[in-house]
Amino acid sequence: MLLGIDVGGTHTDAVAVDRNGVAAACKVRTDHRDLLASVRGALENILGSVDRSKIRRLNLSTTLSTNAIVEGRTEEVGVLVSAGPGIDPYNSMLCRHFHALSGSIDHRGTEAKRLDQAEINAAVDGCLNAGIRVFAVVGKFSTRNPRHENAIRLAICRGEAQCAGADFVTMGHELGGRLNFPRRTATAFFNGAVWRLYNRFADAVEKTLADLQLGHVKVNVLKADGGTFPLALSRKLPVQSIFSGPAASVMGIIALCDITHDSVILDIGGTTTDIAIFAAGAPLVEQDGIHIGSHPTLVRALKVRSIGIGGDSALSVFQGAVRVGPNRLGPAVAEGGVTPTLVDALNAAGLCSQGDAEASRSAVADLARAHGLEPGDLAQRAVQAAAESIHEAVRELVAEINDRPVYTIHELLEGRRIVPKKVYVMGGPAQVMKMPIFRCFQLSTEVPADFAVANAIGAALTRSTWDLELFADTEKNMLFIPSLSHRQNIPRTYSLEEAKKDAVNHLLAHLGGLGVVLDNSEAQITQAVSFNMVDGQSTMGRNIRVKCQIKPGVAFRLTGRG
Amino acid sequence: MLKAKNSLGVIFFPAFDWSISPTHPEREERLLYTQDQLKEEGLFDIEGVHEYKPGVASIEDVERAHFCFPDVDAVATRSHLIAAGGAITAARLVLDKVQDRAFALVRPPGHHAMKVVHGARGFCNINTEAVMIEWLREHYGIKRIAVVDTDCHHGDGTQDIYWHDPDVLFLSMHQDGRTLYPGSGFPKECGGPTALGRTINIPLPPGTSDEGFLMALDQVVLPILADFQPELIINSAGQDNHFTDPITNMNVSAQGYAELNRRLAPHIAVLEGGYAIQGALPYVNLGICLAMAGLDFGGVREPNYDAERLRQPKKVTDYVKEVCDMVPKLYFDPPKEPKDGVFADNWFVRRKNIYYDTDEITEAQTEMLHLCGQCRGLLKIESRSTNNPLCLGLEIPRGACDSCRNMGYKILEESQLKGEFRYIQFVNRRDKEYVRYGF
Repeated sequence: MLLGIDVGGTHTDAVAVDRNGVAAACKVRTDHRDLLASVRGALENILGSVDRSKIRRLNLSTTLSTNAIVEGRTEEVGVLVSAGPGIDPYNSMLCRHFHALSGSIDHRGTEAKRLDQAEINAAVDGCLNAGIRVFAVVGKFSTRNPRHENAIRLAICRGEAQCAGADFVTMGHELGGRLNFPRRTATAFFNGAVWRLYNRFADAVEKTLADLQLGHVKVNVLKADGGTFPLALSRKLPVQSIFSGPAASVMGIIALCDITHDSVILDIGGTTTDIAIFAAGAPLVEQDGIHIGSHPTLVRALKVRSIGIGGDSALSVFQGAVRVGPNRLGPAVAEGGVTPTLVDALNAAGLCSQGDAEASRSAVADLARAHGLEPGDLAQRAVQAAAESIHEAVRELVAEINDRPVYTIHELLEGRRIVPKKVYVMGGPAQVMKMPIFRCFQLSTEVPADFAVANAIGAALTRSTWDLELFADTEKNMLFIPSLSHRQNIPRTYSLEEAKKDAVNHLLAHLGGLGVVLDNSEAQITQAVSFNMVDGQSTMGRNIRVKCQIKPGVAFRLTGRG
Repeated sequence: MLKAKNSLGVIFFPAFDWSISPTHPEREERLLYTQDQLKEEGLFDIEGVHEYKPGVASIEDVERAHFCFPDVDAVATRSHLIAAGGAITAARLVLDKVQDRAFALVRPPGHHAMKVVHGARGFCNINTEAVMIEWLREHYGIKRIAVVDTDCHHGDGTQDIYWHDPDVLFLSMHQDGRTLYPGSGFPKECGGPTALGRTINIPLPPGTSDEGFLMALDQVVLPILADFQPELIINSAGQDNHFTDPITNMNVSAQGYAELNRRLAPHIAVLEGGYAIQGALPYVNLGICLAMAGLDFGGVREPNYDAERLRQPKKVTDYVKEVCDMVPKLYFDPPKEPKDGVFADNWFVRRKNIYYDTDEITEAQTEMLHLCGQCRGLLKIESRSTNNPLCLGLEIPRGACDSCRNMGYKILEESQLKGEFRYIQFVNRRDKEYVRYGF
């Protein structure tokens, strides 16, 4: 039995599932001041109908870190960067205690300028004297060579293994091998900013589980990329737990439907419609990373586009054209609101009868009269406009994905293009919007069963994912896997094939060490390139880059049952 | 957060799967470290800076700029068509007002490719900028264009293509041809009889640093541009004037290149040469991107930059000054007669021998321009090379007069009857007709 809990903005959804389907489900209101109470409430509810000894795993999706950042309940972080030449590092200054240190490393990982020890000590002392206990240390090109980050960390910790100087230090290279110094800095900063809060919550969750005699349950935390990671690991990388909500819903659809083609997933909520795109049955991951506040980060996420069209989006008429959203002035008149919304249009068009349908009809009639339109016509056109806006947004998103830059002739001329063949709709108005959406897309349109708790089902069934980048430079006889801080000497003959094998082995060994046992076939090489490095007429070595990932997936599907 | 003053589109296409040969300077690795640097700097996260995928130039796009023998497919690989397509993408972004500026960071380069193409010269097969410019004229009706070539090698290909074109001002600043490939680019080369003073060459002595480079810009290029008033300024942004470049002898730094682009403010830049792929390109390309976007580039410095070592000797400064004093006259008061070629019956005739160093081809060519006085004039080129027997290129220009147009068809007909040409490429820009014969 697997448990999934999705602590969302309004509701906390929980399910218990096994191969036979959903054994128990519940929905409780989220208490923003006490998320733990929401988790506990949902757990107790589920335990009412499920044998606790059969529960093996709990997957948790929480808005804790997101909310803390949005509400500014984060801790001050001392950010120390070594940037070197290029764009002024103060452009990525995120906080008060930000120190740009001299010293630089170039794109090959060669130290171009040494650090200044006195300067580091002064910066560290400044932070410690100001009461800073959490640090982020980031170097430009530290994913090629972490030497400066390690040296700065050593200075913060005063050389002690236990690090008396600070409670926690995030080093940039541990966040992964992707290049982007400003994003790495922002990610390290946010990781530090939520670290303490997150760890307190993690402690409390573990204690609660022990109290409920669920100490044997393995706990994973959802990430935004459609995967989970073990609670122990999430304690060091809490930033990865951000924005996992949309991913839970998308993974739910995977569990509920047998998606094999290029597809569009629409989750029509109250305020927004979330659009996700699947390529050959697998969800697409954002190339770069999500924005937190206005700061781009390295936190990977499923590609989800939100547009301002939902059940509570207001209707408006402008120069004879009927529009829906993007303003939310809900709730709908049918639910006691004042401005007619998409739900009211659906009621007035006779497509559904949610709440007080009569109130919807009269509100829509008022709006129609004010603009000299037939009420029935207005309602129909509003529903049509909503479907068309969604269709347009999907078209744009697909075009954007197909137009993303590529770097080889092969990909440019023969690269795969995404052509959606099927649409899946979920969310409150899913059933009634199905036909209008079908008419716009002219594609097979399906509304899965159990879509109301798809997010919690997704949370429950999502498997662990992880990814790593391996970088090898045979001229320097050096191999480096930034996220594992693994450096190793390699011979000059080291090849791309060996690099691929090493990347997979390190990925699986790392997850194995955290209790996630996977088989070789589940690791996927997403990039493997080797460049000859030439100086004059002679080849000096090879520059090898391999990316490897466990792709998002579910433990099992709930299709074809019953 | 940073925000670009001028929005900038960057068409980044490193062609990671294409090289001339594994150890050739023009190889897969060339833009690898540039990519690393641009990504690590977070350039594409800056508000107003966007990355785009290049388009692919069509056969006709190439034929608007070149006579290719035996045909386009034989002389241009897919990577060339993508590089030219990337430049077209850049131009579209600017002319459609999607972006204020655009930089086509594409390879391979193109500025040594001349009007007639039998193969590769100076690592170039088709002229990226010329294909773009002719595309622009065809689709947007742009007339006056200035090309400022800042590659260290003389842009002899672009010069050749626009030799007779008074509406394209070609300015090249480069290391003196007596000391570097292709051995041309002297001030006296200043255009054909219908375009005298519209080709301007600024040869700079070896050892020129940022100071001399910017002096040539300020004293020659900018005053001429101010007078010419082009609708569009294009920078052929070669980067081999850099002090670390392995095949040239100049001392320009990333700061120099960035400052040049700040002052020149080109609408479009297109990467040309530059083979110090680790020490120069990452920094120069970053500098150019920032300068074009109107952002501060003060922090862009090569790790091994040493101001003292790169200081320009007085001797060099004095020489650059002399060049700068002499060259502007060629634009403002051009000579009355072209430096080479002969006039015969309303035709202007030039005979050229061209060596294609990359492909080891020798070409002998007779170029004839009809001096009709009504339009740009019919262009006829007879060419034979070690690759191809005698070939004919015939071009009826845009806006051709009836007489030139009719003469073009007449010559085409006669040539086919006589059968002396193995391949004929016939281009009628007026009626958009592109035909090849000989297959």
